[in-house]
Amino acid sequence: MAAVKSESVKVVKEFSRPGPVFTIEAVPDSRRVIFGGADFQVCELDLAQEKPEPRTWGAHESYVTGLAIAGRYAVSGAYDGHLMWWDLETGKTVRTIPAHKKWIRNVAATRDGKTVVSVADDMVCRLWDAESASLLHELRGHEEQTPNHYPSMLFACAVSPDDQHIATADKVGHIVVWERATGQSVATLEAPGMYTWDPVQRRHSIGGIRALTFSPDGNLLAAGGVGKIGNIDHLDGNARVEVFDWRKKERTHEFPGDKIKGLVEHLAFHPGGDWMLAAGGANDGFLMFFDLNAKSVLVQDKAPVHIHDLVVNSAGDSFIAAGHGKILLYEIKS
Amino acid sequence: MADSHTRFCGSPEHAMDRRRFLGTMAAGAAAVAADMTVLNVLQEPVLAAELKKQQKRVILLWLAGGASQLETFDPKPGAPTGGPFRAIATSVPGIQISELMPKMAQRMDRTCIIRSLNTKNGDHGGGARLMMRGRMDDPSVRYPDLGAVLARELGRVHSQVPDYVSFYTSTEGRDFAPGAAGFLGSRYGPMELTTSMIPENIHRAAEISDLDHRQRADLRELLSKRFERGRSGSALGGHNEAYQRVRGLMASEKLFDISEEPQKVRDLYGPTQFGEQVLAARRLVEAGVPFVRVGRAWWDSHGQNFETHQELVPELDHVMSTLLDDLAQRGLLDSTLVITLAEFGRTPAINPSLGRDHFASAWSTTLSGCGIAGGSVYGKSDKTGNTVADGEVGAAELFATIYQALGIDPQKNYYVGSRPVPLTDPGTEAIDEVLA
Repeated sequence: MAAVKSESVKVVKEFSRPGPVFTIEAVPDSRRVIFGGADFQVCELDLAQEKPEPRTWGAHESYVTGLAIAGRYAVSGAYDGHLMWWDLETGKTVRTIPAHKKWIRNVAATRDGKTVVSVADDMVCRLWDAESASLLHELRGHEEQTPNHYPSMLFACAVSPDDQHIATADKVGHIVVWERATGQSVATLEAPGMYTWDPVQRRHSIGGIRALTFSPDGNLLAAGGVGKIGNIDHLDGNARVEVFDWRKKERTHEFPGDKIKGLVEHLAFHPGGDWMLAAGGANDGFLMFFDLNAKSVLVQDKAPVHIHDLVVNSAGDSFIAAGHGKILLYEIKS
Repeated sequence: MADSHTRFCGSPEHAMDRRRFLGTMAAGAAAVAADMTVLNVLQEPVLAAELKKQQKRVILLWLAGGASQLETFDPKPGAPTGGPFRAIATSVPGIQISELMPKMAQRMDRTCIIRSLNTKNGDHGGGARLMMRGRMDDPSVRYPDLGAVLARELGRVHSQVPDYVSFYTSTEGRDFAPGAAGFLGSRYGPMELTTSMIPENIHRAAEISDLDHRQRADLRELLSKRFERGRSGSALGGHNEAYQRVRGLMASEKLFDISEEPQKVRDLYGPTQFGEQVLAARRLVEAGVPFVRVGRAWWDSHGQNFETHQELVPELDHVMSTLLDDLAQRGLLDSTLVITLAEFGRTPAINPSLGRDHFASAWSTTLSGCGIAGGSVYGKSDKTGNTVADGEVGAAELFATIYQALGIDPQKNYYVGSRPVPLTDPGTEAIDEVLA
């Protein structure tokens, strides 16, 4: 097992951006990454270049919040409700489709490259054929309103390693696991500790499950967000992670946080399952590494910026993170 | 108190608050100026019609904590500071507002947006007092707030209803700008509802009969008149006036009770607390209450500004548009001014928590209905929303405009002792372009 310590996780390169970068993906078999953010743009960065410079592919009409690599395409989703298909080699737009009536919060793809998954604040998860962009399934299992009559939000989605299941999670902490082939719900889970409704002081809510990922063996499903918050003007709650054996519908791990405050925006496993990484932030950023076998926190450190997304390389010794005004290349040395 | 002329004695009695007022009332001490217990203004067509013709009223939607102008009435789509929301066209060509407000977009002909407030105070308490009173604190004078002034100016002498009602249920920010009658005296202070939609302790105590209640009031009045002989002072006058209004206030309980409304009307306003309180506000102004503030807290979105506004702005959009429709259908919109206001707006800059912070340099307010040139925008912020580009408006100019819209001279003087105190600072003028 690869041990991780604070001193072994280092930023080795960083790139400044004009605002928040919300989503990043790595192009397989290359050192290229694609990213999008608050400038509405979808851009490419080739880390193989001596002095990498971002190249803009095109733009949405609002924040770009999801990216996935599906075969020969990159697919981006944005708060404009549209999905855009991009040619992975040329960076040219292949097609744009109206996919959701409200903000798209995340985009994923199956590993076989055939299906694109999008989730949005219309509270629907849609599965799309990656080649034709035809709609395959609409997955409806999340309430449109919170129990207090306000709009809910569908923040997160993930695809199981065997491509057979899709998981989705919303603002009030409701998680649904779906069968990809049929579009049927096969499990529901609850993580209400990640949603704070303040009925007395401020009368609105904050939180929600912002990150989801399956373990490499597909048995566990991890969810991340922020714990209960006293003053919901700020992200002033402990970063929170819960892990479920989703088939048994049992929570196996709870990391309520004791040092790090803010939202868990992204969760990723080491390819071999050695550790799980959580990243996010409030006004600052953070990184946390967990050993699920020992049920322990290996690392909980500040990051230079609030991190919104990251992608771990296939060897598990490096990752690239997208955050508030920066893209950060990290190395993990055992 | 003489018309437009009051004396501030500075005595503790002058500052009698609602708690004391209602607490004493519950003890059964009351005077009866007239038998007001048969009050049923809402079902009295002649009286209602007369009210519609003569009386002007205000409903203040107080967006406590500071709503973002960029996510409501002054969107900057595409600017680095603009955030993710789009701007949408409204019923008035050339005016766009946030996509979070599609219902208000269809009713823009009733509303004037002022996009150039520069009020220079980004502190919750200081900003709230400034925007409730129209001017900065002055250690030598306790200024009344907008509600108290309008209670004084628009309230009727023998009113059977409260003159100033304030709903503020959330606890955050409630103490930053409590209703303040200032030198006008407690007669014009607010009936503040913080825990219930209906005033507490408004009922006659069960162990006291109506006759007993009247007799106690008569006795109190007799003793009070004896005490008044040879004495003067606004505190004493205000004290007695307050008692004289008790039975009217007791009878006004139903005005606060939205269950008296048809279900279809309640459904229009929706199930949220804000919707229910605004419906109650409409009932109150319809019955002749000149000023109602509905405090909707808490907009202070230092973190997750966009999610917060996704929750709160659609609610504001729905409730405000429903209110304007309802007032218009009842023939009340021409005589009722609906204001959206807060202590400040929010920064164009977006912080790492995706929040916006306090900002008083270029923000927005709206005025709808009575005396207002609907379908208009006054003032302009720059491309990023960081500064006022045209038509800067301060709190004083805003208040002068509100007073003018209601037919009140902004330079009218009150007197604190022999000191004249104009409603707005000398030289302040209403904004003609905002007025109908």
